[in-house]
Amino acid sequence: MAHRETNGSKLFITVLCMVAACSAVPINDLLDRASQRSDMLHSLSTTLTKDLSNHVPPVGWTMMPRPPLCHTSSLQTPNDKEQALQLSESDLMSLARSLLQAWQDPLVDLSNSANSLLHPSQSSISNKIRELQEHSKSLGDGLDILSGKMGPAAQAISSLPYRGSNDIGEDNISKLTNFHFLLSCFRRDSHKIDSFLKVLRCRAAKVQPEMC
Amino acid sequence: MYPGPTSPVNRLHKSVSSVRSSGSRQWTQHGQNTEGETESFCQLKARLCGATMKKVLEVILLLLLLVVTHAKGTRYSPPGKPALTRCRSPEKETFTCWWEPGSDGGLPTTYALYYRKESSDTVFECPDYRTAGENSCFFNKNDTSIWVNYNITVVATNALGRTFSDPVDIDVVYIVKPNPPEQVAVTVMEDKGWPFIRVSWEPPHKADTRSGWITLIYEIRVKLEEENDWEMHLAGQQKMFNIFSLRSGGKYLVQVRCKPDHGYWSEWSPSSYVKVPDYFHREKSVWILITVFCAFIFLILTWLLHMNSRSLKHFLLPPVPGPKIKGFDKQLLKNGKSEEVFSALVATDFPPKSSNYEDLLVEYLEVYIPEEQELMLEKSMDLDVGCLKCEGSASDSDSGRGSCDSHTLLMHKCDGVKEEEERQAKEARRHQKDWKEEASTYAHVDVSPDMSSGRVKTWPSVFSPLPRYTSNQQGSLEMAKQHYLSDSLFPTSSTSSYHTQPGHGTTEAHGPGYWECGLSNKQPHLLHPQAQAQRQLQARSDDNISSIGRKQTPAGLHSPARRSTEYVEVERVNEEDMVLLQPVSGRCGDVEGYPEMPYGEDYSKVKGVDMDNMLLLQREVREETENCDTSSTVTTTQKPAACIHSAMPVEGEMVLGVNGYVDTATVCTPPTY
Repeated sequence: MAHRETNGSKLFITVLCMVAACSAVPINDLLDRASQRSDMLHSLSTTLTKDLSNHVPPVGWTMMPRPPLCHTSSLQTPNDKEQALQLSESDLMSLARSLLQAWQDPLVDLSNSANSLLHPSQSSISNKIRELQEHSKSLGDGLDILSGKMGPAAQAISSLPYRGSNDIGEDNISKLTNFHFLLSCFRRDSHKIDSFLKVLRCRAAKVQPEMC
Repeated sequence: MYPGPTSPVNRLHKSVSSVRSSGSRQWTQHGQNTEGETESFCQLKARLCGATMKKVLEVILLLLLLVVTHAKGTRYSPPGKPALTRCRSPEKETFTCWWEPGSDGGLPTTYALYYRKESSDTVFECPDYRTAGENSCFFNKNDTSIWVNYNITVVATNALGRTFSDPVDIDVVYIVKPNPPEQVAVTVMEDKGWPFIRVSWEPPHKADTRSGWITLIYEIRVKLEEENDWEMHLAGQQKMFNIFSLRSGGKYLVQVRCKPDHGYWSEWSPSSYVKVPDYFHREKSVWILITVFCAFIFLILTWLLHMNSRSLKHFLLPPVPGPKIKGFDKQLLKNGKSEEVFSALVATDFPPKSSNYEDLLVEYLEVYIPEEQELMLEKSMDLDVGCLKCEGSASDSDSGRGSCDSHTLLMHKCDGVKEEEERQAKEARRHQKDWKEEASTYAHVDVSPDMSSGRVKTWPSVFSPLPRYTSNQQGSLEMAKQHYLSDSLFPTSSTSSYHTQPGHGTTEAHGPGYWECGLSNKQPHLLHPQAQAQRQLQARSDDNISSIGRKQTPAGLHSPARRSTEYVEVERVNEEDMVLLQPVSGRCGDVEGYPEMPYGEDYSKVKGVDMDNMLLLQREVREETENCDTSSTVTTTQKPAACIHSAMPVEGEMVLGVNGYVDTATVCTPPTY
């Protein structure tokens, strides 16, 4: 599946490049594909979170302090539908790209420490994290091309720095806890990205109401 | 933190304290007013007593109640732990939470829901307990934030205590469960005579799919009314779906539901009923017709088969032919006695015994040429008479081999077809015997029916390629001694296959081992039978060849009294191209009682046959000795000086027979120059 994803992403990029050169593929189509990819990304992260939370010992929950904020929380995102729908396309695209960009490093860290995680389904978790990485990378590349078509405003990316990898923790319990926390943050952010892209898709496909 | 409701006990304390305080107040007031108003003191006192009495009564009642209940044994307890069952958002803009109350502890219990948003310590109570029904809390749009964690707790309170439920963290975007699709329309449509159902619907009106806020996918299920199994169809994002493969005349139920891209399936829409019209009758009737038709044809075929069963049987399984051997008795065979069976087949006089040689000798052919024909013969000059040139006339006078080139049997030409009587029976027999032997060695001949230009075809094509002989005809011929023998005809009880029928133009060989000299059909018989001698000229003329067999004697011929073979040798050819024959005088001195040659001096011996089918004749004056000598030699090169034609060099393989006869085969093989 990873290979397929790499090939798929490469294909996606190739097509997008060709499109950029030829301007043959309409933006509707590109947005549709981007939405599908973000949908997949979110589903994967949901599955991963559930896998992980099945086996986290309840002790960890009680010990968990008030959940810290995700490192992406500094980014201003709409809180409800009205706010979200008021955003412009460029803003939506920019937010999506920023969020995606913010998760590249943490995913790397997660992938690295997944190997040493003590968990019953550790191997599947490790695989899924790797898949997450690839999906997110390919989506990022696609969004780069899309945003290039949409104008400079869409290309603005807010930088969201990530703390270091030492936050993951040393002992297994804290490791697991931090894993869970990070993955839940990612799940939410991936949902945001997905929502924004779908709103964009619907806006772009005015002649095709069945897209929405 | 949480303002506790006033408990009844507190209230009791309060009331008692208020009574006491009021009582004390009263008393204070009363103290001040004692000197002036002796008359109102009693009234005041009564009033006070009344109020106090009421309060005291209340307390006593309550206490009594407590005591009583305590005395009866029932316990009041604080409420049981409530539990939040679920929280759902139908459109990602509002949401509702439901809880399950625990035991109420016997006392009226109240429930409250409190929530806290992520990263804030402010506790809020549920704004709306009613909209969503019993034990629920509805959060409207203003209170709903998405992508924000809610921490929700439900508290149950009764007179005796409070109980908190387990807190629940929710994010509104993860708990979306839309309403079922609306306006489900089911219609029956037709596609080339085959009906199908078209289902169409609308998304729930609350869900905002137009802006892309929610993306819904749909699912349809169908079943027949009387069955239990649903047929599921995933329709994706479209709002219309076709269902095919319907049962004719069936009544179907159709339901639709939807699901957001990351959320829960909605409930099924209410059933829509649809009845499919009957379309199958048409088909059924066609099939019935076809079946009846086939059955009818099948019946007819069966009847025909029955009628013709016998002939069909004969056609398919032809009867085995029985043996059709004459004299063969099937019944005898069935009876199983082989000796009897085969005895009928046995020809008693086969093989012929030696004493019957004479009988077996071929019946000569007595040819009778009527006068006219003789004249005709003499006159006919243009006959292409090829000389039979038998090379190496070594064959003696009574060479039994009919080593003649059949087509150039010149006898018929020369009127001197005067057969001379000769032959001793012995020699004839001997020759016959030899000849028979040789005859048997020859393959079945197949005389080619080449009757061109008056040739006498005495030869099977095996031996002589006739055309060659024809090419070289010159007028002069040298008659070599040519002996023609007819085949000995073995009498058989069976139909003789050798006899030729008059008028047959062809010279077919009859039976194996027989070879005959055939004359062309133009020539009448040449042989003039002599009364004294029997000749053995087996000439078969096409005109009136007589059957050679015993069975037939053609007109004009009579079988000689003596049945011995007689040999005739062609002495010479006269000027008119007629072959003069003389009886064979084989060995010198062997001749027994040979009559003198009736015709004297004009005979010549046939020395051989050249390739032109010409008889090579020795032209010298007949001298018996010479003839004898010459006849006994086999050399190919021997040519008497008087021979006009030099004998053609026949192949050196001439086989000398026992009696000096020339092997017919070699004689008549095409000589190579």
